[in-house]
Amino acid sequence: MTSVDAPTDPALAGDPSRPAPAAPAARRRPALPWFSPDNVVSMQVSRIAFALVFLGAWQYGADRWFDSFFFSTPVRILAQVAYELVDPGFYRDLGVTAIEMGVGFAIGAGGGIGLGVLLARWAYVARMLDPFLLALYSIPRVALAPMLIVWFGIGYASKIFLGATLVFFITFFNTLSGIRSVDKALCDIARVMQATEWQVFLKVMLPSASSWILTSVKISLPFALVGVILGEFLVSSSGLGFRLNAYSTSYNITGAMAIVFLMMVAMLALTAITNAVETRVLRWRPKSAAERVAQS
Amino acid sequence: MLQIEGIRKEFSGGAVPVTALEAVDLAIERGEFVTLVGPSGCGKSSLLTLISGLAAPSAGRIRINGRDIAGTDREVGFITQQDNLFPWRTLIDNVALALELAGVGAAERRREATRWIERVGLGGFEQAYPHQLSGGMRQRANIIRTLIYEPSVILMDEPFGPLDAQTRLSLQALLLSIWETQRSTVLFVTHDLTEAIALADRVVLMSARPGRIVRADRVDIPRPRDIFYMHDLPEFRRLYDALWHELAAQLDDFGRRAH
Repeated sequence: MTSVDAPTDPALAGDPSRPAPAAPAARRRPALPWFSPDNVVSMQVSRIAFALVFLGAWQYGADRWFDSFFFSTPVRILAQVAYELVDPGFYRDLGVTAIEMGVGFAIGAGGGIGLGVLLARWAYVARMLDPFLLALYSIPRVALAPMLIVWFGIGYASKIFLGATLVFFITFFNTLSGIRSVDKALCDIARVMQATEWQVFLKVMLPSASSWILTSVKISLPFALVGVILGEFLVSSSGLGFRLNAYSTSYNITGAMAIVFLMMVAMLALTAITNAVETRVLRWRPKSAAERVAQS
Repeated sequence: MLQIEGIRKEFSGGAVPVTALEAVDLAIERGEFVTLVGPSGCGKSSLLTLISGLAAPSAGRIRINGRDIAGTDREVGFITQQDNLFPWRTLIDNVALALELAGVGAAERRREATRWIERVGLGGFEQAYPHQLSGGMRQRANIIRTLIYEPSVILMDEPFGPLDAQTRLSLQALLLSIWETQRSTVLFVTHDLTEAIALADRVVLMSARPGRIVRADRVDIPRPRDIFYMHDLPEFRRLYDALWHELAAQLDDFGRRAH
């Protein structure tokens, strides 16, 4: 070992008896100015400071600057979150919402992608339906909620379909655009190689449209939750929306905010999963500059 | 052999119908390397598209080994100017595409593709995606993904056009060395006279639009050729001057009519 800061033998790096090699020293770069957007350390410090100042002001200001009855406090909300996390009732409601959201999302995304693919292949019908689709798209979908409840009842089905309609249009239009924007030259390459039209679709059009489709899946996922929660607000006897509604109609702001917080965490987790899937499936795309920096 | 008889191509899509090709006749022997030169817009690329079967001629017929072709054909490969590799496929999967479409098993596909990849010096990049390769590497991949399924006629549409001069020379040499062992029939479009003479058994010159065949010259330079030094040969200079004289006349003519 001539060089201290470059452990070439990985076994040495894991040796607990040795002092841990100073990782930053091994790859030292010119120091970034503190307020450079690329300065990772200052960025994390600033974020934490921002959150602490916000939460601190909220906590300190409660019943000094504003009435905690209306805005609760971070400490109370945290305690309520802990309470929810050991309450079997919370998990029952979470399960109901998760099922409604999952089924609604699957129906909406499946229908949207399926119809998008079908119409992309069937130009005549696509053009014929164009104005009608635009008209449907122009309806604020949540306005359909009361009717969906009349049609599908007050059980799970109305929530599922409300979530599904929100997801459907996003995935449908993206799939349609994705397949329409496939490079014709790539299709021709396959045709010259004697590909059948089915092979052209499967091996050229679908993979080429995959980034559009995946993006639409990612951005439509939160809308599935929006639809389901809205449905639960209107009429329901279980689900996170019902729980939230029950708290807020009884002026339990702490409870309502705890549920909102838990929904946010759940949504963040889902987004992280879809991002990971996207990165994996679209690994053929050129990496963004940021990713290259992170790897170097 | 490849026979092109009385081909005419009109494009009627625009405001004014355009005749791109008029009465084109050309016969190419089996295993012959023919280059096609002409002023830009003379319909060189249109002719290749017609032979590839991706478009149909307005009149005339195209035959391969005595058989009329209708639509794309197993015996005709088409190498385009843009590499058009599938960005979502690794190099090896791009090269093996034609075999995959034909239902060849995975093990054999891998073996064949690897052989071709190594032959053109891309070994070690099998799992790279196109965006990770240089322009020259991508164009090599573009060429071998057609060679791999051994069509008897190979159409090449300015495949080295987008490359820098050095890369172009080395790929020309590579193409010749492969072709000399493979001996498929090649019709190669280029706007570069040097390239046209260096590669070809025969150089065919087309007129400005509507494209017709003006002359065809045999290149009597023995093979194997040294692509890097053949420009000094008297035969090369003589042919270059003759063709350039004719091509310049076409350019003049075209320029006059355009104004």
